[in-house]
Amino acid sequence: MEIDRRAFIASLGGPAAVALMDHEAKAEALEHYMEDKLDEMVAAQQPEKFPTVAEIEAQIETRPFRRGTGSVFTGARGQNVKKIEPMPDKPTLQDFFRLRFAPANHVLQSATRAMKTGMSEEIILACLLHDCVLSLIKPDHGWWGAQLFEPYIPEKSAFAIRYHQTLRFYPDTEAGYEYPDQYYRIFGHDYTPPKYIEDTYKMLKNHKWYMEPRLVTVNDLYAFDPNAKVSIEPFEDIIGRHFKQPKEGLGYDNSSSAHMWRTLARPDNPL
Amino acid sequence: MLKAFRAYLLLAALAAAAQAGKAQTVNGLQMTVSGVKLMEKAGLRDCPPGTNTVNAVQRPGDQLSVVTVAFKVLPDFKPRPPGTMKRPVATAADGTAYNTSVQFVDVGSVPEYSCDFVYRIPSGTVLKTLQIEDAKFDLSAPDK
Repeated sequence: MEIDRRAFIASLGGPAAVALMDHEAKAEALEHYMEDKLDEMVAAQQPEKFPTVAEIEAQIETRPFRRGTGSVFTGARGQNVKKIEPMPDKPTLQDFFRLRFAPANHVLQSATRAMKTGMSEEIILACLLHDCVLSLIKPDHGWWGAQLFEPYIPEKSAFAIRYHQTLRFYPDTEAGYEYPDQYYRIFGHDYTPPKYIEDTYKMLKNHKWYMEPRLVTVNDLYAFDPNAKVSIEPFEDIIGRHFKQPKEGLGYDNSSSAHMWRTLARPDNPL
Repeated sequence: MLKAFRAYLLLAALAAAAQAGKAQTVNGLQMTVSGVKLMEKAGLRDCPPGTNTVNAVQRPGDQLSVVTVAFKVLPDFKPRPPGTMKRPVATAADGTAYNTSVQFVDVGSVPEYSCDFVYRIPSGTVLKTLQIEDAKFDLSAPDK
């Protein structure tokens, strides 16, 4: 077993703490450290035990909020919510990214990957926007998300956003999409999608735009590197070309989804 | 006759082993198959390993065959537009082709790297070849 000397010394409290230890204490500490590391290595090799649907359902009454609540309405890890910065008078998509969707790592990473794998601009845009609605609501986020953006984006991008939710449940190795292990964790390993999802999948399989939502799933990385640096800047041109920013600001243009933008802008309103 | 046939098989196996471990170069990208193994769970990291850390999990009736390939970017490597390099295709002995969900992303971004290409295949299936662009690798060598 290789020992990371720095990590070992740090685990003991740093060089100063080590200097105060006698040889016997150091030897004992090293032995404990190696035992812990060995346990970690063995644990890493064990197959992960995924929860069942019943086990996930049993967690419902352990939370003070519903699982499907949009992230602007709940505090991080069960903590109280914090005051949020008001939106500008005429908010743009970028303002929402900065003030309501942040940190938005997931969608930024998906769009970054879509760009690097040579996707069309409609797909890159769909990847950038596909999960933004999770700030507002989570269940059926494909349909909600498509509705939120539909008045402002190309039809293909809206189609991709609406149906990526369905295709996430169905692997397509030819297209490069595997059922993600994260879904075993969040839905349960014995989960079967409801009938409306199955029916939607059957419809999509024969649809001429099947690949639009499929390519969103291919670039939809639920698991991502938390250290990767991403920003919205590389997508400014695509947003400029494909997102019809209303001059009144999002939420004030009387579009079919304006109320959704206003709710995101003011989630603390009582009614 | 039997002796000659055995010798032929041995030579064929040796040739396959040599081919699997032998470097092949396409567009300035040198590739060497360094191993094939079966796993219950496998990471679908991009190639070169990047931000995608989605995992594939073995399901009843199938297995995950992981082909490891070492890459070296040579001086004559010429970057191509994103998405140009297709995902490697593996073929089993019966000729069935299998796709991987591991994608090439920025292949010239680091000088040397190793990638695991994950194939979900029916239990008991053995992969025979791996095709990356114009390069074809024999995976049937005993130690590969």
